[in-house]
Amino acid sequence: MLTPNLRLLAMIAMTVVLVPSAAHAQNKHDMSDMPSTANRPDHQHSAQQHEGTPPPDLEIPPLPAGMTLEEVFDYSNSEPPSDFPDPVPDDQLFAFALFDQLEYRVPDDDDARDRLGWEAEGWIGGDINKFWWKSEGEAIFEGTDEGESENDFLYSRLITPFWNVQTGVQYANEWITNDDYNDRWSYVLGLQGMAPYQFELDNSLYVSEDGDVTFETEGEYDVRITQRLVLQPRVGLTFSAQTISERNLGSGLTEADFDLRLRYEIKRELAPYVGLRYHSLVGETENIAEAAGERTEQWLFLAGLRLAF
Amino acid sequence: MTDNSRLTPRAAMTRRDFLIKTGSLTLVGYLALGRPAWANGPGLPSAGEFGELVATDTGGIDLYLEERDLLVGGQPGRAITINGSFPGPTIHMREGAEAVIRVHNRLAESTSIHWHGVLLPFDMDGVPGISFAGIPAGDTFTYRFPVRQNGTYWYHSHSAFQEQRGHYGQLIIEPAKPDHIDYDVEYSVVLSDWTFTAPHTVFRKLKTIEGYFNFQRPTLANIDNQMQATGMTLEEVIAKRLAWQRMRMDPTDIADVTGATYSFLMNGKTTEENPTFIAKPGQRVRLRIVNASAQTYYDVRIPGLPMTVVQADGQNIKPVETDEFRIAVAETYDVIVTMPDDQAYTLFAEAMDRSGATRGTLAPQLGMSAAIPELRRRPMLTMADMGMMGGGMKSMEGGNQNKHASKDSQTSPRSGNELPTENLVERIKHGPDEHGSASITMAQTAYRRLDYPGAGLGDDDWRVLTYSQLRALERPALRRPPTREFDLHLTGNMHKFIWGFDGKKWSESDMIRFQHGERLRINMINDTMMSHPIHLHGMWMDLYAGGDLDTNPRKHTVNVQPAELLTVDITADAPGQWAFHCHLLYHMEAGMFRTVAVVRSLDGGSIDADA
Repeated sequence: MLTPNLRLLAMIAMTVVLVPSAAHAQNKHDMSDMPSTANRPDHQHSAQQHEGTPPPDLEIPPLPAGMTLEEVFDYSNSEPPSDFPDPVPDDQLFAFALFDQLEYRVPDDDDARDRLGWEAEGWIGGDINKFWWKSEGEAIFEGTDEGESENDFLYSRLITPFWNVQTGVQYANEWITNDDYNDRWSYVLGLQGMAPYQFELDNSLYVSEDGDVTFETEGEYDVRITQRLVLQPRVGLTFSAQTISERNLGSGLTEADFDLRLRYEIKRELAPYVGLRYHSLVGETENIAEAAGERTEQWLFLAGLRLAF
Repeated sequence: MTDNSRLTPRAAMTRRDFLIKTGSLTLVGYLALGRPAWANGPGLPSAGEFGELVATDTGGIDLYLEERDLLVGGQPGRAITINGSFPGPTIHMREGAEAVIRVHNRLAESTSIHWHGVLLPFDMDGVPGISFAGIPAGDTFTYRFPVRQNGTYWYHSHSAFQEQRGHYGQLIIEPAKPDHIDYDVEYSVVLSDWTFTAPHTVFRKLKTIEGYFNFQRPTLANIDNQMQATGMTLEEVIAKRLAWQRMRMDPTDIADVTGATYSFLMNGKTTEENPTFIAKPGQRVRLRIVNASAQTYYDVRIPGLPMTVVQADGQNIKPVETDEFRIAVAETYDVIVTMPDDQAYTLFAEAMDRSGATRGTLAPQLGMSAAIPELRRRPMLTMADMGMMGGGMKSMEGGNQNKHASKDSQTSPRSGNELPTENLVERIKHGPDEHGSASITMAQTAYRRLDYPGAGLGDDDWRVLTYSQLRALERPALRRPPTREFDLHLTGNMHKFIWGFDGKKWSESDMIRFQHGERLRINMINDTMMSHPIHLHGMWMDLYAGGDLDTNPRKHTVNVQPAELLTVDITADAPGQWAFHCHLLYHMEAGMFRTVAVVRSLDGGSIDADA
């Protein structure tokens, strides 16, 4: 059945593996018969007594050494012993952070200064319940220090496969050098997730410590041009339920951002991008700004990095 | 490094005598390798240099688990090795004898070995947390059990992500009676996937960034390719893509972890290393193929050579000739091929998502190779994978529509009488989805897909094996109609990488209770859009493959396709606690896992699995 060639080949192959120990191996080269092949497999437990009444066609069940069938049944009906680990670590916590925008913004008008902008979020938690944070803002470094930020700290719960309900607080601030610093706390109720057609939506209702009610909604969508080149349109709208004079907000839709970013995913976690933003004040808010002699719309050129950790 | 991988010596010996020769040789070989090679010089040993051991020999065998640097596809990687390499040695057992395996844990962490598909006492099953506490670092654990079956199986770690790091090998049980399968030479073919990234990191990517490893998504750039491949117009392609987007699903979500990080391996070797299996013209070659991957389904074929499938999951089946088969994770198939001439033939194993492949060569001598097939176009899921069949599908809407409504059906017998075993209902409607936010249920109807070869298969001009072709060679023991049944939904939130059964993870669930001696039916309903290889420990699952009580095959792992209704019958003959889970490693670790308790009686309360 086997040619001498094959046998030779195999011997060579074995020799390669076993050169240092070939001599040892020889000792084991007896061709004795296989262990006897009892057809009754269960000799170990052949003395097993049957306290239960197994159905007639059941063989003697496989039992651990030293345990009776009754003992095994008692074991089966119990929670696992306390020194046992979990068979699968399915309730681990994970942490994640995404800087969706970390960018340099260059306004189209010469009077306006360049600024650093960011929008980031992250979470730590399990599959359903998470602590979730979000931060967005802008800071100007040339000339006088100036900036603003909004920071949400939220409990997030996955209530349907695609939607998280989020609630918590927001700390918002704005500053012009250190002399003029304003901040406020707000209560937040949010709904974040993915809508049909794979739009990512983030909606948040804010009630400030002064009782002012505002609402923000953001939507974005990934257009995959290639496996790594992604065009992302994004819309952000802000509403106010009332006029808030100290924030220069009228009631109704107050401002709108329309962004377009083109990123290249060197890795999923690392994607440089360029983009454009059209920013506009709207409605009563626009009127307030006009009356103060301020610009109500602006184009910004964007360049930045999208980072995930 | 030496290359053109040496063949396993088994080729040159008869089935009877190789056991003696190679078994003890391997241990000696391991000791010879015992000095860390990397400490001595620049050359690291390559993965895939594994030998053989006979665990039913007098005195048993020793397995040494160690972390080692090995070359995987020529690149250094840190692997968990068994006796010096991965895959671990091919372990042989003799049906009817007692196997003794001493496992020496030289890792820095707890470990375990599960004997996949082997019937044994539950405390020998090797699942930390269910069978035992695990094998602590530095300890030795002795497995000892009578061998009650024969066929091709495998073994692997059941601890954390160790399987992904190389902790697996093949297990061959020689039949007590002469083997009816006629062959001249035989080879182990262990398919697997390997990543140089730490598996915990892979898991974290999956949990935090959807589609992290999928670089075959629909893009603007590949619209043209899709039009050409499918013959659809631009409008049709756009409409189809929008339909998927509306459902927030990705039709290219075929594999969670892909060739973007995986090296695909055959016996620990990549395509370039070309593991070679020697066979002379006219010889009948038995290939014992096991899919030891963490995540990768393979499509296996040998261009130019038909294969005769003779075993599935270690169980003899009526020989069926085919040209290609899909092997789900953890399944085994034994095939016979006859070498027609002295040419080389490529044994090609293509990842289901076509993100890569591995191959070996069947040839009369070393150093030969044949053409390597091109990767086929990656498949896309279809509406049929969501339970929406075209008009052609024969409809047998049965009276089963509110099956899903019965809560806690696991403990409430649906019928005290015998259930039918032939011509089972073809499809059932999904009831109201009560699985919560951990489940995205796309399929409103689940249906039998026994004739469906799987996404991406069946459109070539050759035969592809399906489950409906699997017929047990002989009526297995303990066959009788079941008297109790329940439905089990395979659920997941692909968006958040949450996986479970009936919307619950292991830690959120009670044990599933089987009554000892009962004959039980489980109707698995795949609510997800991915295929899941479902594995039951300790007991056979008799797969309803469209045949009758005598011929439906026994399986340890069943592949449940998207939107599929798949039925298995189980004889609950193994008292104790057992694992039951999806064998995609990252799905399992995410919680697609249940503890099964085989109890004296179903009276009494539920048992918390996570105490």
